[in-house]
Amino acid sequence: MRRTAALIWLALVCLSAGYVGYQAVNGIALRTDLTALLPRDERDPILQKVNDAVSSSLSRRAVFLVGHAERAKARQGAASVSQALAASGAFSIERDALNAERLKRVGALYWPHRGALLSNADRAALQADQGEAVATRALSQAYGFVGLSDSRLLVEDPFLLFPAFMSHLPFPMSRLSVDDGMLSAHAQGMTWILVTGLVGGDPYDLAVQEAAVAAYDTAVAAAQAQAPGLAVKHLGAVFFAFQAARASLDEARILAFTAAAGTILLVVCVFRRLSVLWLNLLAVGTGLLVGLAASLAIFGEIHVASLLFGTSLIGIAVDYALQYSVGFFDGDAPDPARRLSHVLSGISLGLLCTLIGYIALMLAPFPGLRQIAVFSAIGLGAAFASVVLWFPRLDRTPMLHHGRPVLGAMAALWRVWETPVGRRAVAAILVALAIAGTAGLTRLHANDDVRSMQSLSKPLLREQEEVRDIIGATVSPQFILVRAGSDDAALRTEEELAVRLAPLVTDGALSGFQTPAAFVPSPERQAENRRLIRDRLEAPFLARQRAALGLAPAPPGVERDDTVLTLDDALGSGAVPFLSQLIIAPGVHVVMLEGLTDADALRATLASLPGVRLVDPTGDFSALLSKYRHQALWQLALTAALVAPVLLWRYGWRRGVLVLVPSVAAVVLTPALLALIGQAMTFFHAMALVLVLAIGVDYAVFCAESSHARRPLTMLAILLAAMTTTLSFGLLAFSRAHAVHVFGLTVLIGITLAFLLAPLAAAGRARKP
Amino acid sequence: MKRLLSILLAALLSAAAPAWAADGTVTAGILKPGEALRGKFLQERRLQGFDAPLKTEGSYLLSPASGLLWRAEKPFAVVTMINGDGLVQLANGQETLRLPAARLPFLSRLFAVFEGALLGDWRKLSDQFTVAQSGNERDWTLALTPLKNGDAEVMPISRINVSGGRFVQKVEIVRVNGDSDRITFSDQTVVQDKPTPDEIQLFSKVKTP
Repeated sequence: MRRTAALIWLALVCLSAGYVGYQAVNGIALRTDLTALLPRDERDPILQKVNDAVSSSLSRRAVFLVGHAERAKARQGAASVSQALAASGAFSIERDALNAERLKRVGALYWPHRGALLSNADRAALQADQGEAVATRALSQAYGFVGLSDSRLLVEDPFLLFPAFMSHLPFPMSRLSVDDGMLSAHAQGMTWILVTGLVGGDPYDLAVQEAAVAAYDTAVAAAQAQAPGLAVKHLGAVFFAFQAARASLDEARILAFTAAAGTILLVVCVFRRLSVLWLNLLAVGTGLLVGLAASLAIFGEIHVASLLFGTSLIGIAVDYALQYSVGFFDGDAPDPARRLSHVLSGISLGLLCTLIGYIALMLAPFPGLRQIAVFSAIGLGAAFASVVLWFPRLDRTPMLHHGRPVLGAMAALWRVWETPVGRRAVAAILVALAIAGTAGLTRLHANDDVRSMQSLSKPLLREQEEVRDIIGATVSPQFILVRAGSDDAALRTEEELAVRLAPLVTDGALSGFQTPAAFVPSPERQAENRRLIRDRLEAPFLARQRAALGLAPAPPGVERDDTVLTLDDALGSGAVPFLSQLIIAPGVHVVMLEGLTDADALRATLASLPGVRLVDPTGDFSALLSKYRHQALWQLALTAALVAPVLLWRYGWRRGVLVLVPSVAAVVLTPALLALIGQAMTFFHAMALVLVLAIGVDYAVFCAESSHARRPLTMLAILLAAMTTTLSFGLLAFSRAHAVHVFGLTVLIGITLAFLLAPLAAAGRARKP
Repeated sequence: MKRLLSILLAALLSAAAPAWAADGTVTAGILKPGEALRGKFLQERRLQGFDAPLKTEGSYLLSPASGLLWRAEKPFAVVTMINGDGLVQLANGQETLRLPAARLPFLSRLFAVFEGALLGDWRKLSDQFTVAQSGNERDWTLALTPLKNGDAEVMPISRINVSGGRFVQKVEIVRVNGDSDRITFSDQTVVQDKPTPDEIQLFSKVKTP
């Protein structure tokens, strides 16, 4: 029976190995974006769609600045860089932001509707009945020093309203000037040419990142070889994501190595047997393998964060193996079958309680956390199966006798809990902890701002600042969402919005914005413009203007084209490619913001405008983290509530409570102690506490299940378990990523407390020998 | 805006009216340090689709220290100031155009040409034009033709003819689309480079709006 089970388990493990191997050959799909760890915002599918559309277009954008002291070399360098980037396939380069060809198409779109188009300044002038100023401006251009770019325009448009409208279209990056087809700027004594592009795939896909960075490095190296002194700056989510992913992969490698090396060293030092090491590695290895296979089979991909936490799985999976292995020192268990039977109840109950913890984690609506939970739960189950089914068959180890000094030390640890002096000392420590904890609890506060949890690459941040200094404000990650019953209604709302945003631009809270209505005025606005032009400009001044320009009087009765310019015309012409990014669906428009510095002022401005809201993906992300921090704390309570009946059923009221106390105390004291050192509670603290509770229950159960005689053995196993857990989880406290750091630190403190308090679980049994 | 180049060029040529060197080559640089040039101009702008040229009369001041002040008086008061900071145009005292040099790379290139001409360095011009000259010291002409690889976007000019004696007297700029400007200069004198307070105030507008 057991033999059959062991063989079936072997077959399953081999199948997992084959599956993981097959996946590895095809390239395991690694995810690195934080958003993939988030629940989809199902309450507002339109907002989610807009968020996806805007953030995917924003996150795919890449900006390059190619600079040289000599204009020609800068231009040549920019051409060479854009050619190389485009040829690599990693980027599609936006050619000639506003060259003559593009301008011609823009002109062709708007020219037939010129009678309904006004620049903001001209419109304001006509509304204030200052038509004469508009007329004078046209004359000064016709007669003045600078002159006109197209004289035929003047015959058709004697007030030059059309060029004024065209030159005030809020194209992005319009702060840069077009120098012979290239967007250029002068700064730091150099000519800078702007090259923009889109990365050719998901910027959070590691393979896309690697291709993008390689293409950039190659393009820059080639261009610099041609022109020494060429400077290139780059900006884009893909580069930030690559640096972050690389840092976390490097970190994961170091942490995994340290955890593995530390664990191996520990086992070899204590047991002085390689065979013990093999057994432990077997349990951990099958745990990782089966956990990974199951995660890939269920999710189709794995997130870097899951991988990072997955390395920590070692620390827990080895617990069961260690419980079994301390049996080598046990004189009462000279054979494998008895070694197992002595610990089976303890590790089974421990596994049950830990799985309850992970199942609670699985309930968290975070896709990435589900990955971690599945990975860990199945991995732990697999490690458990290997211990129970294989260990007795593979165990050839005779009883070990060198453990006496270690076990003596463990026995001494227990005596602390059994002598009156020791109990008083423990009680004093508990009281001190309770006081410190109470003090800490009063200082408990939370901070869910995701920006304080990110650790963005500093050189890239510096470069971002430099790029901003040269090209002015860049597109803000925040944007305004306009929702209305129809496109026309949305355009009207945007016209109202533009009036309210203008003072913010004057105040510097915002440096610019792009509404669809700026490119296609609402039909009402177009009709109003026609009236303004007719009544305030042409009726009083047209005859005079034509005379001043030496033109014959306008032929009377000439029919003007008064068809309305529609959004579909503009989108269909492709003259303003940028516009399609702003139109999400009929009546659902996006207003892009540039250089937003005061989001609160903007929000206040928008408050009274129906159908308009500021979308702040970062702020929304922080709000979500806050919501889920609360949820995680509830899940913690849920886990405790689910585990408690199991323990009460097994141990009865008094002992059940004592078994529960160490882990609950660890969970309450840890955030309190962290608050004392000023750390604000985050979602990641909360998730760490879920683990602390599960592991803490494990230790207490091992102690409670232990017979009096086996106590030193149990203590040794728990100590080794706590040390390996510290090696794997606690080491995360050294991570540079704040979220990982706080997770590690919380586990480190929590596990230490859980280990120190675990013997309390055996207290109820101590009096009855 | 494109016309800026051509006219500016005309203006600077007038200032830097080439002296006729003994070896038959044109040299330049008639202004000594601390000197400026004042004069009057008549600009006749012939535009496609217009029967009569648009005529502008006015005066100018070219100050190496402050820049160029191009003051049209008839039929409209349009004042244009250009210097290293950029260009500002006022009509009836109201600003109708502002081009900061920082946003106009070609403007700064123009100033390189400007400087070159003031210093008599014609090589700066030959970067963009083929220069053909004829006549003698008292009556000379220069025919400037943009180089094929020149910057057609910035300079849609088919040719520039300049003629003069001690000073430039006439500049004709023919554009690719057939429009042309003819500027005739008169009453040109070399003066001390001391703009009036009014002129200083106008120049100061280029720097601050």
